Amino acid sequence: MTIEFKPTSMQKMIQEAAHGIARDVIRPLSLQMDREHRVPDDLLMKLQMLMSGMGGGGAVMPDEREKNTDPETKKKESQTNRTAILGAEEMAWGDGSVLISLPGPGLGGPPVRSHGTPEQKKRFFGIFEDTSRLKWGAYGLTEPGAGSDVSGIRTSCRRDGDSWILNGTKCYITNGARAEWVVIFATIDPTLGRAGHRAFVVERGTPGFSVGKIEDKLGLRASETAELVLEDCRVPADNLLGGEDRYSAAADKAGFMAAMKTFDSTRPMVGAMAIGIGRAAYEHARDYVKEAYVLSRPIPRYRAIAEKLARVKRRLDGARLLCWRAAWMADLGLPNSKEASMAKAAAGQAAVQACIDAIELVGADATLEDGEHALLCKWFRDIKVFDIFEGTGQIQRVVISKRLFEGLRHF
Amino acid sequence: MISFELGEELQLIQETARRFAAERLFPRIRESERDRGFPAAIEAEAHELGLGTIALPESAGGGGLGLLAAVVADEQIAWGDAGACFGLAGPGALGPFVLELGSDEQKREVLSRFTSAEGAKRRGAVAWTEARPAEREGFATTAKRDGDGWVITGAKHSVVDGGRADRYVVFAQVDADAGWRGIGAFVVPGDAKGVSGGERKKLLGLDAAYVADVRFDEVRVPATARLEGGSDFPTALTRAFARHALRIASRAVGVASRAWELTHAYAHDRKAFGKPIGHFQAVAFTVADRLMDVESARWMIWRAAADWDRKGEPRLADVAGAAAHALEMAIRCADDGVQLHGGAGFMRDFPIEKLLRDARQIALMTASTSTLDGLAADVELGRAIDPASILPTPDIQPVIL
Repeated sequence: MTIEFKPTSMQKMIQEAAHGIARDVIRPLSLQMDREHRVPDDLLMKLQMLMSGMGGGGAVMPDEREKNTDPETKKKESQTNRTAILGAEEMAWGDGSVLISLPGPGLGGPPVRSHGTPEQKKRFFGIFEDTSRLKWGAYGLTEPGAGSDVSGIRTSCRRDGDSWILNGTKCYITNGARAEWVVIFATIDPTLGRAGHRAFVVERGTPGFSVGKIEDKLGLRASETAELVLEDCRVPADNLLGGEDRYSAAADKAGFMAAMKTFDSTRPMVGAMAIGIGRAAYEHARDYVKEAYVLSRPIPRYRAIAEKLARVKRRLDGARLLCWRAAWMADLGLPNSKEASMAKAAAGQAAVQACIDAIELVGADATLEDGEHALLCKWFRDIKVFDIFEGTGQIQRVVISKRLFEGLRHF
Repeated sequence: MISFELGEELQLIQETARRFAAERLFPRIRESERDRGFPAAIEAEAHELGLGTIALPESAGGGGLGLLAAVVADEQIAWGDAGACFGLAGPGALGPFVLELGSDEQKREVLSRFTSAEGAKRRGAVAWTEARPAEREGFATTAKRDGDGWVITGAKHSVVDGGRADRYVVFAQVDADAGWRGIGAFVVPGDAKGVSGGERKKLLGLDAAYVADVRFDEVRVPATARLEGGSDFPTALTRAFARHALRIASRAVGVASRAWELTHAYAHDRKAFGKPIGHFQAVAFTVADRLMDVESARWMIWRAAADWDRKGEPRLADVAGAAAHALEMAIRCADDGVQLHGGAGFMRDFPIEKLLRDARQIALMTASTSTLDGLAADVELGRAIDPASILPTPDIQPVIL
């Protein structure tokens, strides 16, 4: 084993296949999906089929991965996270909304996988075996009054016989309205902070569980973002994630840990997606400069343009390697919270800057929503949320800082 | 397979270089700065370890390892004392240039001088920069045919080990009318008649580096002294600069990682408002951002080097991108380092001020960030690589090689 920055031939194949789909199938529909605020079902069906044909959803679905917890057994070393981020970059290059609209447990997958009882895993993952119908899972953490400060959630839960009664509102939930089930985080007592958190799998149709408004957004418009309302919502005790024992110790933060655990595996993925969009914008600007501008006439601005282009590219390249490194650590079962946050923070920032600069390079034509650079215009709108969701850039730096300054708790 | 583990051989090299840097270099950085050099014992030890000749071919007595091994070692030495990368004996910049421009015979002959026992005291140099642009495009220094050989005449500006090198690679105008495409490279012995060094210059940083002007007054060299660069000299020359830039950039990563470590430690220790300053987000976030800088630059350099080793051919855009990123971020790391040290950062009681000077200096010891970005963009835009626009020629931006 030695240092190497080359995907395996299998990964190369998956990367190329994903790129082909992104280029030939996804991107031609991108603007239409953005306008219609939805990814067509037949496209999702088709992608679901392609994914399972490509050796499972591993290439693009964060929930399908398994960690090899023994770094000594090199032979069993998993490649799943690395494969996933390579695929994710290509898919996002095609369209950012499609990947997060794909059927499957989505962000709800990791907490169920890491904290669910064997019965719960069987129950909640089992429904995805039938692929004749599109099905989603979702993840409900954010509330109107609690975003980055997860400990501030106010959605309440109290035990009542064989059930729990949940009250509160969750917002900005990806695929929330159409999900078969949502992992909902609530608290038994806000004064207990993280120790009071409980995670529930709330199924669609549960009495008192309803969908509020569907958000209209700056970008990623084809992706569904919903508000979920819980009014005396009665959830069976069997749906308490991990079961009662998991939370028995008074100081246990199992609920909070379940919420956070999700991010260690998904942040490098989100970073890779950001790189995919940033790269799309970079390539667009590069080709524009090449074809329409620089080669046709001598311009005094050439040098400044060349340097801007080169800077955009190398910042994306550097951030991509941080994503690869975090995914590699995840595959080896090494703790990677710091590295995952570094990847996400660097990628989000580099990609946002790439889209800003790409528009600058193309000029005002790139701001015409229906012009020939409409895709670039859309990427500019899409990319911003990559420095916000799954933890803002600032929260990533809090996570990194906590690990760099261990013991200095108050960030 | 994507893996960020160095592997046994490279790890051994890294540890060897790190131990030397930690035990022999860093404890005496102020001495090497004051003395503007190193005692013979340390030079002998460095030569013994062979870290400076790791990438030279085995036929020349070198380590026969690739560019990746060289940049891994470079970073660690610079982490100890970046001045050592330039101040210790060894082939220096001459290495990459002879590797890319020389024939097998020339490589063996010239480079083995630095791997032999006497090599412990020998230095190689590259005489490239001139004080001001020539009246027309190209170097003012000329190489004229003289029977079988060449006669070189001209003045070179700010050459590392200028005046004390065992061998120089001298760049001179061969074809007066061909501009930057009309230049040639020649190996000139330091003791050849007509070679003379000027006074040693005082630098902003990298104080241990010996920099002086060199004059070549009708210096005669045989025909075999010319480095032809295979069939395509401009391309080989671009590769030589790329190889050199990657080496210098890995040293910039060494400087940056040292600056980062010092700042990180300082933010733990220093208290303000009753708390360690690392407690405050303005400080902690800056430290976090600079760590992203250091690590991304390191991976980019390693990736470009590994790629080059594997294919035997550089991907110029990646090499230039990696080097540009590293040179740029090293200054950021050192500058934020001084900033977060506050007033103490300005004081010479703390090493961080030296690192800021070193970081600024090192980014002009090879093609600069803007020159490298220009090269990367030219490749990406599919423009013909024109040495006149992508080499650090004196009329674009003077550098110290």
